[in-house]
Amino acid sequence: MANLQKSKPSIGFVIPVYSSVITLFIIVMTCVELCDAVTVVDVYRLVQYDVGGTPFGSRLAVLNHHAGSAVLFSAAADLSRTVLILPIRELNLTFIREYIGRRKPLGGLLLLLPLDFSPQDRENIGEADHSSAKQFVKGVLVELEQLLIHANIPYPVYFGFEDDDVNSVLADVKRNDATGQLATATTGGYKLVVAAPEPKKVASPTISNTQGWLPGSKADGGSNQLPTIAIVASYDTFGAAPALSVGSDSSGSGVVAVLEIARLFSILYSNPKTRGRYNLLFGLTSGGPYNYNGTQKWLHSLDQRFRETIDYAICLNSIGSSSNELWMHVSKPPENAYIKQIFEGFSNVAEELGLKVGLKHKKINISNPRVAWEHEQFSRLRVTALTVSELSVAPELLESTGGLSDKRKFVDEASISRSVKLVAESLARHIYGQEGKTIDIFADNSSLAVNPSYIRSWLDLLSATPRVAPFLSKNDPLIMALKKELTDHTVEVNVQQEVLDGIFTFYDSTSSRLHIYQVASVTFDLLLLLGLGSYLIVLFSFLVITTRGLDDLISLFRRPPSRKMKTA
Amino acid sequence: MTVFHFFNCAILTFGPHAVYYSATPLSEYDTLGTSIKAAVVYLITSLVKLVCLATFLNVSESDRFDPYQELLKALIGFIDVAGLYFALTQLTHRNISQNHKFQAVGLGWAFADSVLHRLAPLWVGARGLEFTWDYILQGLEANANLVLSISLAALGSLMWLRKNKPKTLIPIIYVCAGIVATMPSITSYLRLGLEWHLPKVVGFELFTSLVMAFISWQLYSACQRPSN
Repeated sequence: MANLQKSKPSIGFVIPVYSSVITLFIIVMTCVELCDAVTVVDVYRLVQYDVGGTPFGSRLAVLNHHAGSAVLFSAAADLSRTVLILPIRELNLTFIREYIGRRKPLGGLLLLLPLDFSPQDRENIGEADHSSAKQFVKGVLVELEQLLIHANIPYPVYFGFEDDDVNSVLADVKRNDATGQLATATTGGYKLVVAAPEPKKVASPTISNTQGWLPGSKADGGSNQLPTIAIVASYDTFGAAPALSVGSDSSGSGVVAVLEIARLFSILYSNPKTRGRYNLLFGLTSGGPYNYNGTQKWLHSLDQRFRETIDYAICLNSIGSSSNELWMHVSKPPENAYIKQIFEGFSNVAEELGLKVGLKHKKINISNPRVAWEHEQFSRLRVTALTVSELSVAPELLESTGGLSDKRKFVDEASISRSVKLVAESLARHIYGQEGKTIDIFADNSSLAVNPSYIRSWLDLLSATPRVAPFLSKNDPLIMALKKELTDHTVEVNVQQEVLDGIFTFYDSTSSRLHIYQVASVTFDLLLLLGLGSYLIVLFSFLVITTRGLDDLISLFRRPPSRKMKTA
Repeated sequence: MTVFHFFNCAILTFGPHAVYYSATPLSEYDTLGTSIKAAVVYLITSLVKLVCLATFLNVSESDRFDPYQELLKALIGFIDVAGLYFALTQLTHRNISQNHKFQAVGLGWAFADSVLHRLAPLWVGARGLEFTWDYILQGLEANANLVLSISLAALGSLMWLRKNKPKTLIPIIYVCAGIVATMPSITSYLRLGLEWHLPKVVGFELFTSLVMAFISWQLYSACQRPSN
């Protein structure tokens, strides 16, 4: 007490010194390295969307909880304040299904994809990868993606990658969890923080359809319109993590094929002698995952009279896998003469290429809003159309739309080249009336050969660009690039901007940065405070004893009561 | 929780200074003015040091130990000794005994050093979510620094203020003062040259500071004896 009273008058003396201290402070502050020893990684949030007002996906973006590992799954512990870190490699799908199905509370979920699924991974490209481990991960991912997309999850779900930093954190967390203690504020551990703003609705998402023309030549200069053949692919994707949905196969391969076919025919059509009697229309449509909404908008915007001149339309979808089987999906019965003719043309060429083409017929139910194939939008407007795909069965809504597992490494360039050749060759034979003859228009090593490096470069670009339509802006570089590419080969290219209508509402904040902090527990700080207190007391006693003697120390403790007596 | 940690580290860094002041007779003789003057001298000295470092030292890109640069740094470090000399001899104090004077000067010196070098990093770092041992170690370092500062002030007062000291002890005093004054360079050599980790360096600092304090205490009391 005596000390306190003595130091009081000096406070006034301290203040003028302060200003100079503060200036030096600032100097020192600039010298100090403002290094926070945290790990920061990129993470990608699970998609959040509403279908007709029903919420789906991860409904939160903000994350601020302690980390936990799969070890905690078995324990019947309360995980409502824990972020589970689960590597896909070791994922137990039944547990996840149970957790999501029963809507058990969870602080958050961080799913770790293998590093070779990351967009930065540029190695191993070129060769399709079929190792069993990769295929296993792919299978798990497909299943997990469907599970997550169709669930309403009240906590944040993020996707990250198993890089070294995260792996070391996970190893630590596992070790800590194995001891049986739940990591909360009192036991320390790691804290995962994502400071994302509240997800906002994407206001009127636009879809951009791009089209280009190759006009045919009228032989006799007659007034009647030339018939048109349309080659169409949908370019956008949908997946559990919009920022990771690059869709190399669905439907990057289709887009690549359309661009290459446009390039091949532009060479033929640039020479008046080889210009065919058909107009060619190339379309890159958006909104594919949402019942081909963009295709529908695009077709409706076309002139009715023109639409009637479309002879038939070929839609390309998922043609990049290395199997030798392709399917031709139609909505008209296979007995239809037109369909028969096209199918025969295709299977003839396929035979020469060593491919197998099958015909699949699926009737359209007009009352059902689900449109499984792009050609069904044409068929609904009575335009003959077919879809060429490696998928034998029509996918469900939001299935096979180029999600997490649809990566570059699972796509085979050679099979895209082969499919391109199949379509281009059968088309050319039809246009030039060479059906049934074995001529090779797009022969290898000729000037009209399919160009593998062109296919590769476009496939690489598309495989590195997430293309979920609501998150693509009107002037997105990708849309501009597609437009420019079509302009190089075709004429009258235009980009049509439409609003994605229907029942879908999307929310933003698709990717953020995850901060991983190593935190100490409150108990540690309490113990530290106790230790420090006793240290200072010991120091005090030691100093008093050595400088003033033991009696002084004892008298220090005796003095206060005597003071009180005096004041009283 | 993290503000809590900040307070813990602040107590560890600045607590011993306050305890030293209140526990020793310094508080009874009201030597706070002397301490504050010493702190001001420290501020000026470190400004001069900063200017010298900025003028004579190249900014090294890497964290390597460069003997020439370190020698230069050590020489510039001796500006500290000059500052301490000024604080001990030139400042007009109220008549307090030499015994209390060097303690007050050493205390003010160490406190100013702690405030300048440790408060800002502490404020920025220890309040963050991330836990590291760095700030606790830094607090321990501040304690070692307090002991070293007082030892240096004691040795300085022996060198410059005490006239009749035993002849045999003079070289020892100078050697000890030299060692204490070059401590910053020694620790920086350990850290960068030998790549010791921070806990090891801090342990070394604590150990040497205690040893040096003991030696200077013995020297001081040895010098005290004949005058009595």
